[in-house]
Amino acid sequence: MVDDEHTSFRENIPAFALGALDVEDASALEAHLQTCASCRTELAAYRAVSDNLLIALPPQAPPASLRRELQSRLPGASKTAHARWTFSFGQLAFGIVLAALLILNLFSLLQLRSLQRQQAQLISQVQTDQMALAILSYPGTQTFSINGESVTGTILLNEDHNTAVLVAWDLPLLAENQIYQIWLVEPNGHRVSAGLFRPEIGKAYTTQIISAKEGFSGFTGIGVTVEPAGGSDQPTGSRVFKVDF
Amino acid sequence: MANLDDNELIARVAQGDQQAFLALYDRYASRIHALSVRILGDSMLAEEATQDTFLKLWSRARMYLPERGSLLLWLLTIARHTALDRLRLESRRPIVTETGDPEDAWPSIPDSDSLPEESRWRSLYFAVQSLHPDQRKVIELAYYQGLSQSEIAEVLGWPLGTVKTRLRAAMEHLRREWNET
Repeated sequence: MVDDEHTSFRENIPAFALGALDVEDASALEAHLQTCASCRTELAAYRAVSDNLLIALPPQAPPASLRRELQSRLPGASKTAHARWTFSFGQLAFGIVLAALLILNLFSLLQLRSLQRQQAQLISQVQTDQMALAILSYPGTQTFSINGESVTGTILLNEDHNTAVLVAWDLPLLAENQIYQIWLVEPNGHRVSAGLFRPEIGKAYTTQIISAKEGFSGFTGIGVTVEPAGGSDQPTGSRVFKVDF
Repeated sequence: MANLDDNELIARVAQGDQQAFLALYDRYASRIHALSVRILGDSMLAEEATQDTFLKLWSRARMYLPERGSLLLWLLTIARHTALDRLRLESRRPIVTETGDPEDAWPSIPDSDSLPEESRWRSLYFAVQSLHPDQRKVIELAYYQGLSQSEIAEVLGWPLGTVKTRLRAAMEHLRREWNET
């Protein structure tokens, strides 16, 4: 009876090694294996077969894309330092081109702004020169000569339009921290600021529009001094010239 | 990295070394994929199963014990269970004999020093191919489809006793072939 039972278990070992034994038979065999050394040996022999059946299949390479996909799905992967700082030639070239384009764009932007500033200055100068011509041609315009130590020129005064134009030749260029300041002189000698200006580099003469809201009748003259950049409330620097009306 | 042995690579994978992981992938992906294709019979499903197997390798690397067998057989065991699980999921076939975590059902795998050479595996493959068609059918349904003997009998319409006899005869034949090579 025991031999029959042992034979029955033994016949089930190949199916058990393949994992094909039904659940009840498998449970019974597992219990028998606990006590039967020869059946355990037999099982080991069949498992050697079933295990190697896994390897026995001819290799079949998966598509290359699977490797990349798998790599991208790795959670919390710690790449080696070498891998972390490796760039392909294409990436490097792209980076250099991108940096060059950024520098070129920045340079172009700076140039554009410089040109815009120059254009604004030119427009302003043209408008001033046109105003000077208009004032000069106006019938009631008075002309006053400027005779300073290092500067000559003319002041055109039109009281009908409360406007004067300063045209000064050979004004010396100033340091960055200095500026020319125009003053209107009151009868009591008090000075009222009428504007700041710098001579244009490379241009022999300077033209400035001077306006007086209340008219020029309340003033006895116009003067120009050298002041700190930003101007002063009252003249503090050296006089460039003074013209009496 | 490719010149390191399996034990060195898996130890590095356990530390989160992606390059070591890719070296193992390059070494064994074709075998894992072959088994997945054989079980699932669909290239897209097989690719997913292969990917899942290697993701399990990544997350379970610390659980691998070299004294229990070679890394390749450990991986193939995981791959077989992964593919069979997917097969059941796709066909909604009830689980009959395969239960639990793959590692729990880990068979006693011979150590790497005693692994047969490539020619031995090839001989075993040809031995399976040379089986009588009825015997081969039973082996394939049992091992590569995960069916129990009762399920095989139902699928093929054979008496259960016939299935048992043919399966036993096939395994005895393969055992002889394996021992002779």
